[in-house]
Amino acid sequence: MQQLRLEHISKSFPGVKALDDINIEVKPGEVHALCGENGAGKSTLMNILSGDLRPDEGTIIINGEPVSFDNPKEAFEKSIATVHQHLSLIDNLSVAENIFANQHPVNRLGLIHYRKMYQQTADVLSELKINIAPTMLVSALSPAQKQMVEIAKALARKPQLLILDEPTASLTDKEIKVLFHIIRYLKQQDVSILYISHRLSEIFELADRVSILKDGKYEGTFQKAALTTQQLIKRMVGRDLIDLKPSSAKQSTILLEVKNLSGEKFKNINFKLHRGEIVGLAGLVGAGRTELARAIFGADKVERGEIKVNNEVLLSSHPAKAIEKGIAYLTEDRTHLGLFLQMSVQDNIVSANLKSARKGNFYSHAKAKELAEESKTKLRIATPSVGTKAQNLSGGNQQKVVLAKWLQTHPEILIVDEPTHGIDVGAKFEIYGLLKELATSGKGILMISSDLPELLGICDRILVLNKGTVSGELLHADATEEKIMALASH
Amino acid sequence: MTLNFKVTLSNRCINLWLLLIVLFVFSCTLPPKTETEIVIQSDTNLPEQTFENEEYVMVTTAVSMPMYMNRDQRSFLRWGKARNVKVSILGPADWDVPAQINAIEEVIGTRPTGLLINGTDPAIAQVINKAVAAGIPTVVYDSNIPNANHHAFLGTDWYEIGKMQGEEMVKLINGKGKIGYMGILGMSNMEAGFRGLLDVLKKYPKIEVVGKFDSKASVEEAARISADLISAHPDLAGICGFDGPSGPGISLAVKEAGKSGKIKITTVDGEPEHLQLVREGTIQLLAAQKRELFTWYGAQFLYDMAHKTNSLSANDKGAGITSIPYHVNTGLLRITKENVDLFIK
Amino acid sequence: MIKRIVQDRIYLLIVLLMVVSIITGIIFPTTFPTFTNFSQIFLNVSIDTIVAVGMMLLLISGVFDLSVGSVVAFVACLVAYFMQEANIPVPLAILLAIASALLIGLVNGYLIAYKEINPMIQTLAMMGIVRGAALMISVAGAQNLPYHFNIIGQSKLLGVQMPVWYMLLTVLVFSFLMTRTIFFRRYYYIGGNEKAAELSGIHVKKMKMIAFVISAGLAGVAGILISSRLGAALPTLGRGLELRVITAVILGGASLSGGFGKIPGALLGALFMGIIANIMVIARVSGYWQEIILGIILIFTLWLDKALLKKYSKL
Repeated sequence: MQQLRLEHISKSFPGVKALDDINIEVKPGEVHALCGENGAGKSTLMNILSGDLRPDEGTIIINGEPVSFDNPKEAFEKSIATVHQHLSLIDNLSVAENIFANQHPVNRLGLIHYRKMYQQTADVLSELKINIAPTMLVSALSPAQKQMVEIAKALARKPQLLILDEPTASLTDKEIKVLFHIIRYLKQQDVSILYISHRLSEIFELADRVSILKDGKYEGTFQKAALTTQQLIKRMVGRDLIDLKPSSAKQSTILLEVKNLSGEKFKNINFKLHRGEIVGLAGLVGAGRTELARAIFGADKVERGEIKVNNEVLLSSHPAKAIEKGIAYLTEDRTHLGLFLQMSVQDNIVSANLKSARKGNFYSHAKAKELAEESKTKLRIATPSVGTKAQNLSGGNQQKVVLAKWLQTHPEILIVDEPTHGIDVGAKFEIYGLLKELATSGKGILMISSDLPELLGICDRILVLNKGTVSGELLHADATEEKIMALASH
Repeated sequence: MTLNFKVTLSNRCINLWLLLIVLFVFSCTLPPKTETEIVIQSDTNLPEQTFENEEYVMVTTAVSMPMYMNRDQRSFLRWGKARNVKVSILGPADWDVPAQINAIEEVIGTRPTGLLINGTDPAIAQVINKAVAAGIPTVVYDSNIPNANHHAFLGTDWYEIGKMQGEEMVKLINGKGKIGYMGILGMSNMEAGFRGLLDVLKKYPKIEVVGKFDSKASVEEAARISADLISAHPDLAGICGFDGPSGPGISLAVKEAGKSGKIKITTVDGEPEHLQLVREGTIQLLAAQKRELFTWYGAQFLYDMAHKTNSLSANDKGAGITSIPYHVNTGLLRITKENVDLFIK
Repeated sequence: MIKRIVQDRIYLLIVLLMVVSIITGIIFPTTFPTFTNFSQIFLNVSIDTIVAVGMMLLLISGVFDLSVGSVVAFVACLVAYFMQEANIPVPLAILLAIASALLIGLVNGYLIAYKEINPMIQTLAMMGIVRGAALMISVAGAQNLPYHFNIIGQSKLLGVQMPVWYMLLTVLVFSFLMTRTIFFRRYYYIGGNEKAAELSGIHVKKMKMIAFVISAGLAGVAGILISSRLGAALPTLGRGLELRVITAVILGGASLSGGFGKIPGALLGALFMGIIANIMVIARVSGYWQEIILGIILIFTLWLDKALLKKYSKL
């Protein structure tokens, strides 16, 4: 008997058919992975299952009975729990209060029984081997810990179907191990798990079966054992993705030189970046990579040390200065730090160099539009028009807009921080291509990334940061994931 | 909603629209009209006033102020009913002199039969003159406005208010002790009142004035100031107030300090809350204005002027003769425990 | 056509203004649609509008200033003091008074932008301080200001009193600056996403500070205009101005969270409020209704914005 079955589910929004006749079944005790590019329909499907949306056509059948949800509450009454990509925790309440939101254990008077609540929370957390105190305020937790609490919250209701949407996006390896352990534990309890992820290595480790969505259509369900990575990718994006060959474009001129640089979270950093070179910066979350990048860019204070660009010392007190000297910085959190979501694609693209949108002495909309259209074509940004608000674009296209914005400043050095975070496979490769092109044209790229295959794929060298200092450097030829991990975490 | 492309287009359009609006405004001329229009443009050689739209308009500075509502406005409305003519009350809800000026300016254009203006700040002089120049009978009440040529003024002499309070306070504290006083600073009628008070007090060397305070027309502020005064001067003999909220405010502080009746209070206005406090013995004297008379007689003056009830010559208007009294001092009400019951409704 | 009207607040306001004016003109044909009346309306909103232009700049940047009303009063009282007590010649007095306004703006701007004090708290405090200072300089209000000062606010050009011209000039100048200069365009980015703006090379702190200086400067100009128009400097001037101006600016298309709004919107918002006030007077509607009606209009406009925007926007 199937636990969950979706038959002929379709859903349309004005202008786009998000889901077209989807048929999926999830067996009890199965880890069922759901793969697809961004825009393939995974989120829409998830929202239908969690009760946030209603399908236009089709039925949801649970344990043989057709059901329909009018709202999320009804969904979880049917024992479906969802862990969304965007956290739903309340910062100024404790872990326990979040996990038991709306379900507080009460005493005879109807008042919240705090001790019972903390106890039950502790039980849930320890059962899941999550090492966080129930009384801690959520605001004091790290993003990884918050994600774990989010998962515990979903599990506190003892669901029969657990939907996880990109659960490992903000987790470190340690927590990922815990998560996998939880998932295996749930499998034993006959709980079904629908696992949505971009990280193909995880899917191959955890899943029993894999279902693929492409452009809203159902491409089939496969046993994991019968599938290779290549095949999976091909079905997801429908094209053979070329393996990235490490053809180095490195020249001998030094673009950027960092000497004994120290700041709040890093000490004595030394390295050089040459023209045409792509240098990777690896390390665990919190190792100081973003802080180093921000310091070079002038967004944070430098305590000691020197930065030289083209052999000129840079006294970087403000990003404007760094931009002037030809440094561009694509931030890790593009939505909050890199984009102006309420403004149009066009306005975003000129935002770092408004002077380029001038005609004569005055700003010209026509010129800005022209520049935006150029970027749109060159970088193949998928958007209805350059007047569309940035928030309406998919993650991959938003990142392209950010890249376009920085290319407008005609930089020599690009520091990219987690450039493919949260982006689907197809767009990822497009961005790799763009970065390689930039390197070939003589730019120097410093790439911060937690995606080891990515680093191994396109970097000429990889520097590894560990607790704020450079713990090692690996040339492309010698680098392996194990070596990087070793240097990053000893 | 696009910010970019539309802005260029609409910016040119905006400027165009602005220009159009401005031109429209300027091209607007007065359509050919009845005689009432001619009244505005020249003061002499006027034909008979027509009374088809007879209306008397009062413009005050704070429509919602209880004292204004209960006394001035009620009396004015009563007058309108008794005379069977239309009356209107305009002005901002809360104290706002520039808004009062704006309202008067806008009303002038509608040519009321008469304009009754609550005199507040000397700054309204200009707009009063505008009304007079437009040929509208204009009467000011409450505070007199210098440099304005309104046709009549009815009000209280604030210097007298200060003097009355001063003389009473001297009696109450037997000519010696510490006195503090408060009012709305920055208002010329209050300043006149302060002078009246001080002129009396300075004749008594054993009386020490410990401070002049801004009650900001607020009960809480008056209470706070009084409480601070009492703590700073435990031997405080009396407090004088010059605005309405001072009464309840000072009383509150004095009562809370347990000194009701011991610290003497004299203040202005005779609203229900003040009367009650006199009854209780907390306030010893109220110098109240006869506000009902301001507006009743003010309106009556307007009526008489418009209807030429008393012609003093063959052509009053032509000769620039005003046929109503020029300055009326409506006098003061002196309310103490002895007569307070008469005033309580 | 309807879509464009609905999506662009400026168009919506213009249409609303026309509709209201025409209807009122029909109901009160003798008193409303006259040159005198219209020029009176413009004159009455001129002071508010000049301040509103500054406030619109601030709201675009994501901040606001509650001290503008006090600055108006302070500058008026200060210039009166300079002219009457200190016997300083009129032009110099005006310059010094406006300089003091700029200084107040500088203090506000510095503390808010560099020391990161909450704008509401900072400007609220400044509101009290400056009002107190105004009261101190001028106890009962200065009357009979010099003729050469008064002509600023009282003389007429083409039959329209000067403050209206100054207002139009201010609106045109700032409208141009905001849309066609790189420097002022950056304010939209600051309002849209301050952190991203900083990381895009915009000197956010410096620009915010400048915005406060401009706002205070405009309030200073308004102070000069209103006192010259009245021929008197009252320390009670500008009470409640800040809330009126913020209402006008929001009506005009600004958002409290920043990043939106156009300068002409400040004029149209203020004009709208002015016309409503005028209609109240002509229709002999009492004062308190005005505030209620303005509140209803504000809610109605914002609702209209949201409701129709949803209908007409793409997903």
